[in-house]
Amino acid sequence: MASTSGSVGAEVTGETCSSLAKSSLPPPRPKSPPEYPDLYGKRREAARVQMLEREIGYLEGEIKFIEGVQPASRCCKEVSDFVVANSDPLIPAQRKSRRHCRFWKWLCSCVPCLSLASFCCCCQSECSCHLRKPKCCNCTGCNCAGSKCCDGSCCSNICCCPKPSCPSCSCFRGCCCWCPDLSCCIPTCFRSCSRPSCLNKKSSCCSCNCKIRWSSCFKCPKVRLCCCFCNCKNLCSNPYCLAF
Amino acid sequence: MSVSELKERHAVATETVNNLRDRLRQRRIQLLDTDVAKYSLAQGRSPVKFGATDLVCCRTLLGHTGKVYSLDWTPERNRIVSASQDGRLIVWNALTSQKTHAIKLPCAWVMTCAFSPNGQTVACGGLDSVCSIFSLSSTADKDGTVPVSRILSGHRGYVSCCQYVPNEDTHLITSSGDQTCVLWDVTTGLKTSVFGGEFQSGHTADVLSVSISGSNPNWFVSGSCDTTACLWDTRAASRAVRTFHGHQGDVNTVKFFPDGYRFGTGSDDGTCRLYDLRTGHQLQVYQAHGDGGGKLPVTSIAFSASGRLLFAGYANNSTCYVWDTLLGEVVLDLGELQDSHKNRISCLGMSADGSALCTGSWDSNLKIWAFGGHRRVT
Repeated sequence: MASTSGSVGAEVTGETCSSLAKSSLPPPRPKSPPEYPDLYGKRREAARVQMLEREIGYLEGEIKFIEGVQPASRCCKEVSDFVVANSDPLIPAQRKSRRHCRFWKWLCSCVPCLSLASFCCCCQSECSCHLRKPKCCNCTGCNCAGSKCCDGSCCSNICCCPKPSCPSCSCFRGCCCWCPDLSCCIPTCFRSCSRPSCLNKKSSCCSCNCKIRWSSCFKCPKVRLCCCFCNCKNLCSNPYCLAF
Repeated sequence: MSVSELKERHAVATETVNNLRDRLRQRRIQLLDTDVAKYSLAQGRSPVKFGATDLVCCRTLLGHTGKVYSLDWTPERNRIVSASQDGRLIVWNALTSQKTHAIKLPCAWVMTCAFSPNGQTVACGGLDSVCSIFSLSSTADKDGTVPVSRILSGHRGYVSCCQYVPNEDTHLITSSGDQTCVLWDVTTGLKTSVFGGEFQSGHTADVLSVSISGSNPNWFVSGSCDTTACLWDTRAASRAVRTFHGHQGDVNTVKFFPDGYRFGTGSDDGTCRLYDLRTGHQLQVYQAHGDGGGKLPVTSIAFSASGRLLFAGYANNSTCYVWDTLLGEVVLDLGELQDSHKNRISCLGMSADGSALCTGSWDSNLKIWAFGGHRRVT
């Protein structure tokens, strides 16, 4: 009895009966779930077929349409005729009509303290648009302390915010609107915090700590790889890779 | 019908579609008897020639602290709105360079902005998948926060581009990463029409740009990552009126030609193209040579008032070619001029009267360019 040797050893453990029983039974096989019809997949497939058949109808219509279409040369003629018939302020050519120039000249003369010289000068003979600053020197409208704003170029963007700290910085309002000290004009820490969900919470925003993970959290625009350095739930935290 | 029968029908329909598309392509090739450049040469058109100081940078608009992504002019009054990576919209007086508004956005990741026709509201959109409307008459708090007047929500992807319908302050069109364009009623905040989508004929990838015809506001064109541009009629949203093929990369930007019957595109394949709306013909390809074989992606385009010039910004440091649209040649590079941008030009816009071009750049500045040469006026 070939199995005797196995069973003799097993007698000692007292498991002879159960091991004999185990070896005679087939291994357990869980039942596979019943096959339900994939209704969702079928409907989706039917929708795709419907779309394709609609596309076929559309393409057949296009083929009929194109039989009666004029050749490209007629369209090229239309383009050429349109371009030649219309004046262009940016093109260095002789112009016969001065209607456009007359409008700008009138505007220049009628609007005080608001020189449109840099745009107007193009209409006058022998002048250059080279960066003549407007004459707007009414600095009473400047929202700045001191005379820095009104040094003859009050309509420029030289910073007029008080330094070094500017708790009442009027950046982005009034006349002078640019501060080299960024923290002056941007009290929130959105620049340092890359987690967009923190933007509305001023204090916690500056302490938020985005962990970078190579996972895409949503469909990022165009350059998907680098755009999706985020573990944020909703938004991509790295717009720097927007490829446009 | 069983799934296997459906799959068989699907395969047959796919083959039929491919055959028809091929027939259509062949027929179009037969109708392309010339292009704009060959036609203009044959007509003896003179090239546009710029002197060293003919086109100059008249203004540099300083104020953003991050890359500028988008800009738009008002139809009048010479104001510009710009959107930047710094999370702000800034409204500029283009003539004086002054800022009139700086709006801190609820979502910093903005991709597009637009002025309403009456110049009283601005719209923006981006990675938050909504289009936000701000009234310029609202008062900002000391942080620069202006309350949102309206949020247009419904897109299921980022909002890549938005434009108000000309002469209609209550309607605007957005394009989105969810492959659709939407016409919105700003008053109610609801969608009026959806163009494209999963089960409608339209784009099959992210839509990146829209442009609405100035002469027929019922028409607009869209450009997409599926390499096509589509013409839509807002009165019939069920499918695109026409699809324009040709590009071999994402179509990043579309703009109507001034006559309203043609439009230009700019693509990742490095080319700009001019298409005819009514016939579907591709009238001209503008491809730069050098710079990697002319494969630099085109980021943005704008036409001059007559359509003779096509300004195209490219995805490298400051290159902005000025194309002679009739002869198909580059006549100027704004990036080579004095006082040019120091980084990629991401957006372009022509003023309503065609006298000035505004460029926005990743160097965080905007610049205004105008004719600075001498004219002999007869």
